[in-house]
Amino acid sequence: MIEVNNIQKKYGKKQILNGLSFTAKKGEITCLIGVNGVGKTTIMKAIMALTPIDSGEILIDGQKIRHDSFEKITFIPDTTTMLPTMKICDAFEFMADFYKSWNSQRAEDLLRFFKLESTNRIGNLSKGSLAKVNMILGLALDVEYVLMDEPFSGIDIFSREQIAEVFTSHLIEGRGVILTTHEISDVEHLIDRAVLIDDGKVIKQFSVEDIRENEGKSVVDVMREVYR
Amino acid sequence: MKSYLKLVNFEINRFFKLYLIIMALTVVSQIMGTIIVSKGNMNYINQVIYENQLSVSQYIEENRPFSFQRVVYSEWFTMPIFFCMALLMIYVFFIWYREWFGKNTFIYRLLMLPAERITIYFSKLTAIMLFVLGLITLQIILVPIETFIFNRIVPAEFRTSYPLIDFYSVEIWRWLYPNTIIEFILMYGIGLIVVAIIFTAILLERSYGLKGIFSAVAYSVLSFGILVAPVILSSIYTSYFYPSEILLMELVTSIIVLGSAFWIANQLLKYKIRV
Repeated sequence: MIEVNNIQKKYGKKQILNGLSFTAKKGEITCLIGVNGVGKTTIMKAIMALTPIDSGEILIDGQKIRHDSFEKITFIPDTTTMLPTMKICDAFEFMADFYKSWNSQRAEDLLRFFKLESTNRIGNLSKGSLAKVNMILGLALDVEYVLMDEPFSGIDIFSREQIAEVFTSHLIEGRGVILTTHEISDVEHLIDRAVLIDDGKVIKQFSVEDIRENEGKSVVDVMREVYR
Repeated sequence: MKSYLKLVNFEINRFFKLYLIIMALTVVSQIMGTIIVSKGNMNYINQVIYENQLSVSQYIEENRPFSFQRVVYSEWFTMPIFFCMALLMIYVFFIWYREWFGKNTFIYRLLMLPAERITIYFSKLTAIMLFVLGLITLQIILVPIETFIFNRIVPAEFRTSYPLIDFYSVEIWRWLYPNTIIEFILMYGIGLIVVAIIFTAILLERSYGLKGIFSAVAYSVLSFGILVAPVILSSIYTSYFYPSEILLMELVTSIIVLGSAFWIANQLLKYKIRV
């Protein structure tokens, strides 16, 4: 389980995170929802120790993140994390070189699924293809937790469909996933838990299925209640 | 250790094409320079002999022979060396900043590697040192070849010998190509410490932004101050310290500065770095 406990973070004088807490369990897809600039990406980065927090605590299966945690958790940011001069196959080789958890077979399978060529140079790929490569680099790791930052942002409808298909496949099953979005309609049908964020705090977190069954509401309905 | 070696290899590969180009430029410029300077001098000598109707022995009696030093002091020889030095100095900064800026942010990947983050720092430091040593080795190989070419063009009666030991004793070359192992360790040890200080200063800036620039400057000034303190001390209290005492003090301050650069870099990479 990923536990984010009471974290605070300031950028200059602006308080971005203000005592934010939530948990994300293995086997569930947890979605951080909030408008742009609310601190969703900062939370992801803080979990991965890519930005320091001012106070609070983040635990992964009860432990603070260490270098070997990166065999257990991965982050798929909305930016390309490989060199533009690399071919996709070079990027795979790099991952295989450094990560014990790299699953080459799965990487090849995903490459075929996304209809990408391993000889394509990363610098020449379209935004949609880059998002897919990013997705492969994260999902081909045999890790327990996957963080995804805006996986559907700025990409075409067909690429969105392909990526959405991944969420319902065995590639995600059993893993703990945290994803961020500011457009819930893309992911509503995929997620198990929703965490609504505003003013640097969690203003509501709930099981999507429970709220649907018990109150007959969609995530968008809850968002309307909370944000208005 | 395995990750460190892989990262060193990776860093070297990233710069290798440009590195080969600057090596090729050095080779071409220096060898061309050797030929042009040698032939130019010989043409001049032949012209003087022809115009004054001198014999070779008469010319030698009236004019001093020249040595390979003329090549060494020519721009053909020195320019590529200064160019390589300048490029490597820029690369000391570029090796870090390129990870954050540009089309792709590779720093995400580097910081998410399942290895101690200080490995990134050590691999970049090692790569820079290997690039420097590679260029020095190239120069050490080139000088005898150039001397050979010079000797083939300039007949023995018009030249004096220019032993390699003389080459390595000339001012700047003495810095670049130390004569003894102790000098070598001192020069390149100090070079390593300077690069380590710059690296740590860059990480301070990358961790704290604008505030980081001030702390990076303060940190660098303090580190360089500690590093040169024994030399300043010995110049104030002349004949108070034995050379061995100054050397020992320099060694201690070097260890302190290098150790603190590594420690601060490790803390920054672990807890403070931002992407």
